[in-house]
Amino acid sequence: MLRSEYKAEGGKLIKVQLSKEDNQITFIKITGDFFMHPEDLIEDLERSLIGCTIDEETIIERIKRFIEEREVALLGATPEDFAKCIVRAGGGGG
Amino acid sequence: MVEVWRLLDTGLRDAYYNMALDEAIAIARSKKLVPNTIRFFRWEPSAVSIGYFQSMEEEVDIEACNRLGINYVRRRTGGGAVYHDRDGELTYSIVVDEEHPLISRDLQKTYEVLCSGLVRGLRSLGVPAEFRPINDIVVEGKKISGNAQTRSMGVVHQHGTILRDVNPNLMFTVLRVPSEKIRDKMIKSVEERVTSINKYLKREVSFDELKRALIRGFEEAFNIRLAPGEVTEYEENLAIKLRDEKYSTREWNFRR
Repeated sequence: MLRSEYKAEGGKLIKVQLSKEDNQITFIKITGDFFMHPEDLIEDLERSLIGCTIDEETIIERIKRFIEEREVALLGATPEDFAKCIVRAGGGGG
Repeated sequence: MVEVWRLLDTGLRDAYYNMALDEAIAIARSKKLVPNTIRFFRWEPSAVSIGYFQSMEEEVDIEACNRLGINYVRRRTGGGAVYHDRDGELTYSIVVDEEHPLISRDLQKTYEVLCSGLVRGLRSLGVPAEFRPINDIVVEGKKISGNAQTRSMGVVHQHGTILRDVNPNLMFTVLRVPSEKIRDKMIKSVEERVTSINKYLKREVSFDELKRALIRGFEEAFNIRLAPGEVTEYEENLAIKLRDEKYSTREWNFRR
């Protein structure tokens, strides 16, 4: 399992655990002390990232689309922050 | 005419009931069964609450909690892990209709507005409190209150803590630190970053005195009158159900 932590501007901490294959996400869990609601959409957000190429721009787009379609509110962390953390976790071989 | 909100003081209850009642009040409000509400509560036994998105195993030393008889519970709101000391901390929650003039679409602004009641109350005690984005209240740069908010079913629910007294040793016994080596360092740094009402005022402020000040603070800041009320039968039954089927379950508390 690959892991990474990233402190977003404003101080909220994002933690990512992921598995990948051919640079695509096969498993991901996002935890941390940020705010997002509806809260129970976090698992759908994780699911929507399965199969996504570990590339910062691609991930940002995917998260932004999810947020728009599902009317999610985020505070203390941005799609860019999540993407940075995911790329960091996925960056080291494996 | 001044708008009247309900004031609840549910005293000392366990973590699972406390979190369940907050949700029950929000649901009751969404069904228009109860008015906008401010609730004070405390924790017995002392407890740790974690944010919705946090991992229980990563944030909390479960073994230490079990040994010390400290409860642990996942909140319905995001944010960080908090140690709720039975004797050190007062917790409040605000449940208000999303259409209320106090509430804006801007989440950050809404934190500031809802925290303004606490800020005003603390200032009336002689504590020069200020709101610090995203969700804290600080005194001379040191945190004295942390707050967390969610919106669902047309209702805004914010809850948070006010530190009357603080015990960093215990805080870091139950919250996980990256390594034992830095535990002392973290305790020291908490002493520099966190304060309490008693510490700042160098006197013992009772829970009653604190609550009276906060009630005034909310009334003035929100331009409302708080009328002492009771938990309704609907809320109580729903809280018991949510306690038993959600907040006290391993499935909920360890879901992330």
